[in-house]
Amino acid sequence: MSDAMSRPGTLVGQRVLRVNDGKLLTGAGTFVDDLHLPGTLHAVVLRSPIAHGRLVAFDAAEALTMPGVVDVLAPEEARDATRPLRCVWLMPGQGQVDYPVVPRVVRHVGQALGVLLATSVAAAEDGAERVRMEFEELPCVVDVEAALGDAAPQLDPGCPGNVAVDLPRGDPPDAVEAAIARADHVVAMRFAIQRLAGSPLEARGVVASWSPATGELTMWSSTQVPHHARDHLAGALGLALDRVRVVAPDVGGGFGPKDHLYADEVLVCLAAMRARVPVKWIEDRREAFTATVHGREQIHEARLAFDDDGRFVALHSDVLADLGAHPSNVGAGPAFVATGMLEGPYRFDSSGGRVRGVLTNKTPAGAYRGFGMQQAAWVRERLVDEAARTLGADPAELRRRNMIRADELPYTTHTHQNYDSGDYAAALERATELVGEGLPAAPDDGRRRGVGLCSYVEFTGLGPSAVQEIVGFALGGYETAVVRVEPDGRATVLTGVSPHGQGLETSLAQLAADALGLPITDVRVVHGDTATAPYSAAGTIASRSMTVGGGAVVRAAGRLRVKILDLAGHLLEAAPGDLEIIQGVVQVRGSPTAAVPLRTVAEKAWLAWGLPPGMAPGLEEKDLHDPQDISYSYATHAAAVAVDLATGRIEIERYVVVHDCGVIVNPMIVDGQTHGGVAQGIGNALLETLVYDDVGQPRIATFHDYVLPGTGEVPDMVVEHTQTPSPFIPGGMKGMGEGGTIAPAAAIGNALANAVPEIAHLVTETPMTPARVWGWLDAAGVATDW
Amino acid sequence: MTGPQTRVVRFAVNGRPVQVTTEVRTLVSDLLRHDLELTGTHVGCEHGACGACTVLVDGAPMRSCLMLAPQVDGRDVRTVEGLAVGGDLDALQEAFRSEHGLQCGFCTPGILMTLTGEREAGRTVEDALAALPGHLCRCTGYVNVRAAVRRAWSQLEGS
Amino acid sequence: MKPPPFRYHDPRTVEEALGLLAEHGDEARLLAGGQSLVPLLNLRRVRPRVLIDLNRVEGLDGVDAGAGVVRTGALARAVGVERAPAVASALPVLPEALLHVAYPQVRTRTTIGGNVAHADPAAELPAVLAAVGGDVRLRSAGGQRTLGWSAFFSGRHRTACRPDEMVVAVDFPVAEGFAYTFSELTPKLGSFAIVGACVGLSRSGDEVTGARIALCGVADTPVRLQAAEQRLTGGAVDAAALEDVRALVAGAIDPPGDLHAPGGYRSHVAGVLVVRGLRRLWGAPA
Repeated sequence: MSDAMSRPGTLVGQRVLRVNDGKLLTGAGTFVDDLHLPGTLHAVVLRSPIAHGRLVAFDAAEALTMPGVVDVLAPEEARDATRPLRCVWLMPGQGQVDYPVVPRVVRHVGQALGVLLATSVAAAEDGAERVRMEFEELPCVVDVEAALGDAAPQLDPGCPGNVAVDLPRGDPPDAVEAAIARADHVVAMRFAIQRLAGSPLEARGVVASWSPATGELTMWSSTQVPHHARDHLAGALGLALDRVRVVAPDVGGGFGPKDHLYADEVLVCLAAMRARVPVKWIEDRREAFTATVHGREQIHEARLAFDDDGRFVALHSDVLADLGAHPSNVGAGPAFVATGMLEGPYRFDSSGGRVRGVLTNKTPAGAYRGFGMQQAAWVRERLVDEAARTLGADPAELRRRNMIRADELPYTTHTHQNYDSGDYAAALERATELVGEGLPAAPDDGRRRGVGLCSYVEFTGLGPSAVQEIVGFALGGYETAVVRVEPDGRATVLTGVSPHGQGLETSLAQLAADALGLPITDVRVVHGDTATAPYSAAGTIASRSMTVGGGAVVRAAGRLRVKILDLAGHLLEAAPGDLEIIQGVVQVRGSPTAAVPLRTVAEKAWLAWGLPPGMAPGLEEKDLHDPQDISYSYATHAAAVAVDLATGRIEIERYVVVHDCGVIVNPMIVDGQTHGGVAQGIGNALLETLVYDDVGQPRIATFHDYVLPGTGEVPDMVVEHTQTPSPFIPGGMKGMGEGGTIAPAAAIGNALANAVPEIAHLVTETPMTPARVWGWLDAAGVATDW
Repeated sequence: MTGPQTRVVRFAVNGRPVQVTTEVRTLVSDLLRHDLELTGTHVGCEHGACGACTVLVDGAPMRSCLMLAPQVDGRDVRTVEGLAVGGDLDALQEAFRSEHGLQCGFCTPGILMTLTGEREAGRTVEDALAALPGHLCRCTGYVNVRAAVRRAWSQLEGS
Repeated sequence: MKPPPFRYHDPRTVEEALGLLAEHGDEARLLAGGQSLVPLLNLRRVRPRVLIDLNRVEGLDGVDAGAGVVRTGALARAVGVERAPAVASALPVLPEALLHVAYPQVRTRTTIGGNVAHADPAAELPAVLAAVGGDVRLRSAGGQRTLGWSAFFSGRHRTACRPDEMVVAVDFPVAEGFAYTFSELTPKLGSFAIVGACVGLSRSGDEVTGARIALCGVADTPVRLQAAEQRLTGGAVDAAALEDVRALVAGAIDPPGDLHAPGGYRSHVAGVLVVRGLRRLWGAPA
């Protein structure tokens, strides 16, 4: 690293208030439904009302007579005009590798079939009610284990037995079995993780506009991945990439599901091309529950083997991932990661797993914050606590005993994760300490109380590209930043990542401002428009924006700093090494009178007058940052709960997070991301679940049915950090956006089992609703009458 | 044109008189967002559960997605666009910025309107906190939202 | 999610509203606070041809807490009732229960009449009305009548209110010497009750002189638990009584299951809430 890049800045690590809050607080943000293009027509996506069947008739004649209805894009027309969407993460041997924009045989309720356009949303909904669709219904299967049965309907010819993916993970099965057989004890449990909806408060939506004159299609989209969406949109419609522009305006949350282009978005664009006026489609909430990918649903048959002295010997999980109707863009990826991160922060003689991705007649499952790592933590950390119970050991002590020590890092796991840096036990110690502090003496209210821990290691900063290639995830793992000092001395950062609440407009600016010696107010981050932003294959997913994207900013800004100092040295007749930049002025260190404003340096650079020999004009640097390796964040969460033995209701009385995500650029933002992650984790743990009936009809239509945590369900929490820099990321950051979500279910589940050990063996399913917990209490004979 | 399914609606938005001819079934959220292009009021569920669309009607916080356009005829409606008088953030907005009480910002306008209603009605910080369950936020985990409420109310009491 | 088309009327007087009802009958729906009806319209689960908006009708928003009864006009907003000092002193369980109705931003619109007329099985107010033995006052163009709560609630989202009738007031009698408490179990703060219980006692020393117990969320209509009330009356709220009451509650109801909880759980929790309510009211450990 050059001196410029390693120079300690004044802004990194500071609680810098966010630069874009003003517009969001005054209602001046621009979300996709806030766009009002003249002449816009409103789309309703026509969707399958059944879970499985062949569309045999489609008749829009009556709909077209309705007031305000302008056009109907029929399934046959859409099919003829589009190419299938590719699955992006392909597992070896995956039986289905793409899916049609409009299928001949629908496989889930809510699958898109066509589009109706009208002059208002209400008129479009009136019209859609008059579109007649007839189906030849086929038997359906909604349960993942039933889908494996001999009698199950077969959903895809490429996936016999409905198995789309079947692959081993980690050590060879024989080796894992042999290790398990050698151990003194085995805890074997079956865990079920429910189906969740990421539910960003702004659902999906697009505005599509086609210019026949230029042959250019523009799609404003509530997406996490504008370039990725553009690439797939052009592919689906057979357009050249330079004719397609995707803009992510302000985006009201993502959490994973907005990580790819959806078939319905292609249909809306196609309808706009035919209508030759802008078309807007805003997903409504009921629609979102079936049209947007779900997350999480997996079953794990898992075993932890250990010796009398508490040493972990082996770990194995056989995973059934319910992929839904077809592999989504990420397919069995979450199960791949669940098995890949199953070992967590511990040593094992042997570890492995099996991943089966199975098709069912439900909405496809895709990315959701925590991506497999939540499941891994739930399974492993519950097993660890049950091992402790078997041995009569303290759960914290058992963890400590088996944790990879700081001096053992870097460390390669059985699934080839190269853990980089940190001190896992330190986080455990501190969390254990903190959870006991400040807990009031338990009132004698008849409730049982307990404390639970969850320690995990988190894969962050998706990349490097070479790793992506190895695992078959067809997304370049790099990011690009362009950092420019404009002729007026202010800086512009162009980034390919696409923030939607994470505050990258501020934190990336902090990185650049530090390198360039500018105040934060003089740096502007530009993002989200494929016409102006540098190419980003992966976008803002997988806790990678600050590591991969931020690393690019650090490197580009660092190189730009070198050039600024070279040119300023030339102007000041001083050695560049003697110069520093303070608040936009380049000066000789210790001699502030020998100074030149950055603005003057910039003017010279962009005029290209009087440059030193060989120096190129301008002050702009571009960096393509393909990280050297993955960065692994880690944490221990601790929860203290009270359990009502009469109702099964769990109250979280204290929640502690001790976390390490490397160098923290903005502690305020990092804490905020952690709070939000924990809140989603609490929803996962206690509240949320997507339910289908036997014929594949969703029983969820509203936020009354699907229970998201509110302020009453999320307590204030203690969040502390340590900072072990990533050795691989310029700037030393590690990813952290997902971290909070990973641990709450396991920490709360362990706390419940600690409070009521009589039901410990039953604590295997989420959400732990009062009714479910009461069922466990009742089964164990510990439920009280009142 | 007016008929049994259309109405002329006259009301005040942020102190400004407006007149809109609209279908009677138009939701007030859509009236504000699309007829008047006051897009700061957001729509997250259209069934009253999320609170993103909350506005003040005659000073009281209400779900604008659960009101029909004719129902605001003659009323005084206030939206997030009316808070920062003269371009400066008001104390509540400042508290949200200072405490990082927002992330994606989609739910924020509704929360601000509820809290503005609570403040103007002279309600206590406990009342204000008790009104927060009426809002869903998917980003912040509510921790800093509550911190912002406490900050705003402590400033109110201190002033 | 936009409402289907309808014809809209916003009458200014009760008579005008009743005239419209008489004209349109069961093709019309009355719109009060709209906090239940408008979501149903937006979801297109109801599609009335005519919507009669009562929000501009004069004289239906009174709240009168005197002479042994809290009488609320049909259009009285929940938030007004909940914050009315006279109601709080006459019948404190009414504001206590109202605080469980959704959220403050909803209760600014929610009306007492609309809430009762919607007859949601999980709704809190009908249970309170059942516990206090309240009445619903109805009017039609042809006249008026008063129905006791048990005659009024006829099923899930169904009442004895005829298509040409509207609720004009709801009476919550204030019985001398009775103290009540309301509690519920919900999936989350402010959401629909899985089970709710309104429990009332009057006592003379260590003897219960009267008991009133009503539940929501356990049947299509609110349920009054007379057997349990009788068991309590004339004795103390002691462990034996509570055990009997719990069994009587379980015996009196057979709740259906739904997304949030199976029927057996509801039945059990009903007993828990009733017993806890009784213990709270009784004060002494039992």
